[in-house]
Amino acid sequence: MNMKWYISRRVLWAVFATFIILTFTFGLLLISPNPEASAAAFSAATEGGDPEEARERVAEIRGEDRPWHEQYVDFMVSMFTLDWGNSFTYHEPVVDTILRAYPYSVALVVPPTIAAIIAGFAIGVYSSTHQYSLGDFLGTSFAFFGLSLPNFWFAIMLMMVFSVYLGWLPVRYDTSVEFWSLEHIRYLILPWFVIWTGAIASEMRYARAETLEYVNAAWTKTARAKGLDETTLTYRHIFRPALIPLITIVIGDLVGIIFATALVVEVIFTVPGLGLISYQALVRQDTPLVLVTIMIPVFIAIIGNLLQDVAYTMLDPRISYEERDA
Amino acid sequence: MTDTEPLLQVRNLETQFHTDEGIVRAVDGVSFDVYPGETVCIVGESGSGKTVTIESITRILQMPPGEIVGGEVIFDGIDLTTASEKEIRRIRGDRISHVFQNPQGSLNPVYTVGAQIREAIQANRDVGKKAAREQAIELLDEVGIPEAGARIDDYPHEFSGGMRQRVVIAIALAGEPDLLLADEPTTALDVTIEAQIIDLLLRLQEERDMAIVFVTHDLGVVAEIADRVVVMYASKVMEQGHVHEIFDRPAHPYTRALLDCLPGPDGVTPIEGTLPNPLDHPDGCRFAARCEYAIEPCFVGEHPSLLPADGDEDHLVSCLLYRDGHDESVIDREPRRADPFAVGDDT
Amino acid sequence: MSLETDTPESTGIDDIDWEEIDANAVRLDPEIFYKYVSLVLLCLLWAYDYIYRDPRLSLLDVDIPLGFTTFNLELNPGNVDYLMGLTLLAMFWWVAVPLARSPEMTKQYWREFRRNKAAVASLVFLAVILVVGLIGPLIIGRPSSDFGAMHEAPVFLGGTWEYPLGTNSRGEGIFKIVIAGMRVSMQVGLIATLIVIVLASIVGTTAAFSGGWVDEVLMRFVDLLMTFPTFFLILFLVYIYGGDLFMLIVILGITGWGGVCRLVRSEALQRTEEEYIEAAEAAGATMRYIVRRHLIPNVSNTVITAATLAIPFLILTEAVLAFLGFGDPDVWSWGRIIAEGRDDLGTAWWVATIPGIFLFATVLAFNFLGDALRDAIDPRHQIR
Ligand SMILES: Nc1ncnc2c1ncn2[C@@H]1O[C@H](COP(=O)(O)OP(=O)(O)OP(=O)(O)O)[C@@H](O)[C@H]1O
Ligand code: SF4
Ligand SMILES: [Mg+2]
Repeated sequence: MNMKWYISRRVLWAVFATFIILTFTFGLLLISPNPEASAAAFSAATEGGDPEEARERVAEIRGEDRPWHEQYVDFMVSMFTLDWGNSFTYHEPVVDTILRAYPYSVALVVPPTIAAIIAGFAIGVYSSTHQYSLGDFLGTSFAFFGLSLPNFWFAIMLMMVFSVYLGWLPVRYDTSVEFWSLEHIRYLILPWFVIWTGAIASEMRYARAETLEYVNAAWTKTARAKGLDETTLTYRHIFRPALIPLITIVIGDLVGIIFATALVVEVIFTVPGLGLISYQALVRQDTPLVLVTIMIPVFIAIIGNLLQDVAYTMLDPRISYEERDA
Repeated sequence: MTDTEPLLQVRNLETQFHTDEGIVRAVDGVSFDVYPGETVCIVGESGSGKTVTIESITRILQMPPGEIVGGEVIFDGIDLTTASEKEIRRIRGDRISHVFQNPQGSLNPVYTVGAQIREAIQANRDVGKKAAREQAIELLDEVGIPEAGARIDDYPHEFSGGMRQRVVIAIALAGEPDLLLADEPTTALDVTIEAQIIDLLLRLQEERDMAIVFVTHDLGVVAEIADRVVVMYASKVMEQGHVHEIFDRPAHPYTRALLDCLPGPDGVTPIEGTLPNPLDHPDGCRFAARCEYAIEPCFVGEHPSLLPADGDEDHLVSCLLYRDGHDESVIDREPRRADPFAVGDDT
Repeated sequence: MSLETDTPESTGIDDIDWEEIDANAVRLDPEIFYKYVSLVLLCLLWAYDYIYRDPRLSLLDVDIPLGFTTFNLELNPGNVDYLMGLTLLAMFWWVAVPLARSPEMTKQYWREFRRNKAAVASLVFLAVILVVGLIGPLIIGRPSSDFGAMHEAPVFLGGTWEYPLGTNSRGEGIFKIVIAGMRVSMQVGLIATLIVIVLASIVGTTAAFSGGWVDEVLMRFVDLLMTFPTFFLILFLVYIYGGDLFMLIVILGITGWGGVCRLVRSEALQRTEEEYIEAAEAAGATMRYIVRRHLIPNVSNTVITAATLAIPFLILTEAVLAFLGFGDPDVWSWGRIIAEGRDDLGTAWWVATIPGIFLFATVLAFNFLGDALRDAIDPRHQIR
């Protein structure tokens, strides 16, 4: 298949997927009881007012008394033009809230993720090239425990030990701390560690599984017969062929696992990133903010998926993998 | 040939695999020699331990589960079974090279063939990238790839099976080895390509004066290329000797039976039965269950050791009937074909 | 085991069973009779309960005399409990009965499985959790607050046997809460998995068999579902529909079937290309017959394995949601009590720690079990 044709098809699919997901979201919001209107109705009822009236008022303010197709067009247009409306709780455009929050999320997620990928790949490759050794056993067991460890509980346990009992590290995040400072690291170290452990286990397992396929590949034997040393051999002939599928998995993983972990971690350590914003929006029923903070991971996932597929076709010299195990 | 020193001496090699079912004795006391510049063919049924023997020599066998548990492999005065990783790495590629059965899988699909040949050159010689590339092109040219300069940057999947095997041979030649271990290098190819690859190997052998150990099922090929033949069965050597002795006066009943498998005037006579289970080799002669000459002593004790047939030190056979006190003449040693060496020509 | 031996004669817990069912269907096999009668009865009970029962009254409230004391058994099942009943029935008819009916196969699986000690321990542990979680709350009742016994230490730290695992800030016993949490985790894990299996099997086999545009549309939909980061989809749905346990389980079920569906489809496609199905088709067998006789038995091992490996994710997700406060405020989930314990880390560390250990152990056990099942029964796994 022609690569250009493939890539353009892939881009079209991403656009289409975005469209479908937005439509679906709109549909859900339209047919379901609006949590925020329900809340207004509830408080009106408790204060002796008319709940129906309160509900309608909220609907009116938000333009929900218009026919659905008008609302739909409005919704789609505003979504695509990044005109995401105002947050009810912050009384400012949602975009501003997001822009203020995201550096914290980046600082929280990126370092441990990179560290987890590097360490996870290294341990995974070690495991697969030393299959059945003690090191492999320890590595795979560690991964197994890591995967089963509830992150939020682990975070609390760390906090209990290091912040509450030992008093080495601060309990709550402090926004007044200089962003680029060593002091900041003291605040970030536990959240980093939780995200790192959350990610490393799966990276390790993927790396082990993917490279295991090549440990006994015929070309590995050819390479060994050339007189290559084991390090070069492992890097070039076992790790490198696995790298392309690994990148694919990792991108999917980043969005799926790491964003979810980050949300929980931000809530626990009160780091004012996107996750905490999202959480507070959910609790306070700030629908515009909820919508955007949930859509961000979704769009990152769609774009990530697209990039990963494109990268795959461009990086992989093989037209197909069929010959691999023939 | 006996007056020069052997290039490679395999002595009582024993290689095992540790599996869930138990210990697989894949090579169980195999000995043979390879002299400089000659071609030794190893023949035997599938599963008889040929590949494991070959791969034990340079220890490229998968270890674990494989393990060399006994014997010696003497190359250039060093015992390769106990040599350090470093020593053996210097020998791999540089002194002893391999060509494998499966040309599809033998090349890494994510690198160009040029990169893979260069890697072999640079693993053994201290040359720059550019010089290595030049050499790689020369090598590709030498193994008969047309327009080598243009094809060097292609990926393996852009080559046909036969061409890929040529690339693998080029890689094997990169370190100018003294010994080439070729494990069924033509089995995966069709007949015309097979003939070309064999011609290529013979030509290269002549030009470079290397010894070749060639593993094959195809007795026709053996007749065409071998100087000496090693016949393996159930992890043991049954018979070894000069190719003419093996074909003209086969001593071992198994060799006899193998030759009967060749299409001859009486048609094909396949060997009845199957190879014994390497997890649990039977007592006595390993071939006894299928041997038409078997006598009672064949079923007890150890497998008979290799002894000269006809008093000829170069022609060894492991069969009780060649011991004193037995009558070897029961074995009909005349070849059934008029000219076994014609076989190679009509393939 | 090689691909060749993987024919209908030698694979699947269910084939022998399915075969007989199919052959005997016309004569109304008693098993099939009981199977459907039990399902129908459960549904009728639910309907009666739903329509006629006053929610304030119990369905069953009897005193059972036990000699020295009387034990009050009060049943007040909700929708989730009925679904749990359905799930247990399904497990009985589609896993336990087929295993019992082909003892040879069972023995073989057991031999494989037994080699993995961690998995055997996990199975025992999970069985205990399931039984205690289902029956325990009926016997010991719901945790109740006791403001005279706030933050009591567990018995191993000098507490009393009245609260073996200590109490929280309202004096509710952690022991009772942990047992209530077992029930919730099992309900979430098993019911949502049943939903996943049903949806994945229907969509997967339909796609594989219809081919063409039906296949294309269905699988594109699955792609879409899988692109969506599941956790956020669930958060969003919970935001809209609220997090009562029933809703939560349904949401977990309908968002989680994508991966299993792909497996079912690819497995089914591979099977349809195999000769015995072509032969059956050529012999004029109906599609329904082929699907039931050949396809489901061969796919079921894959599905069971994949589903077992999906359970940990479901349980963890419920726990996280409960932890974040989006869970059902009426049930005690491990996630919820861990969240409560957060405020008492300095004073009562056991509140957050002990339930977390149970959560961790349960998830770990399901992971071990799934891994061992894959080694023991999954044909796809053995081909490699
Ligand atoms: N990795 C392994 N693990 C266990 N047993 C093995 C392994 N590799 C080879 N064997 C066993 O060793 C024995 C010899 O195998 P080997 O590959 O040397 O046979 P061969 O003579 O080369 O056969 P073929 O002609 O099919 O290549 C066989 O019984 C095989 O099952
Ligand atoms: S030793 Fe006996 S069984 Fe073995 S080959 Fe000779 S005659 Fe046959
Ligand atoms: Mg072989």
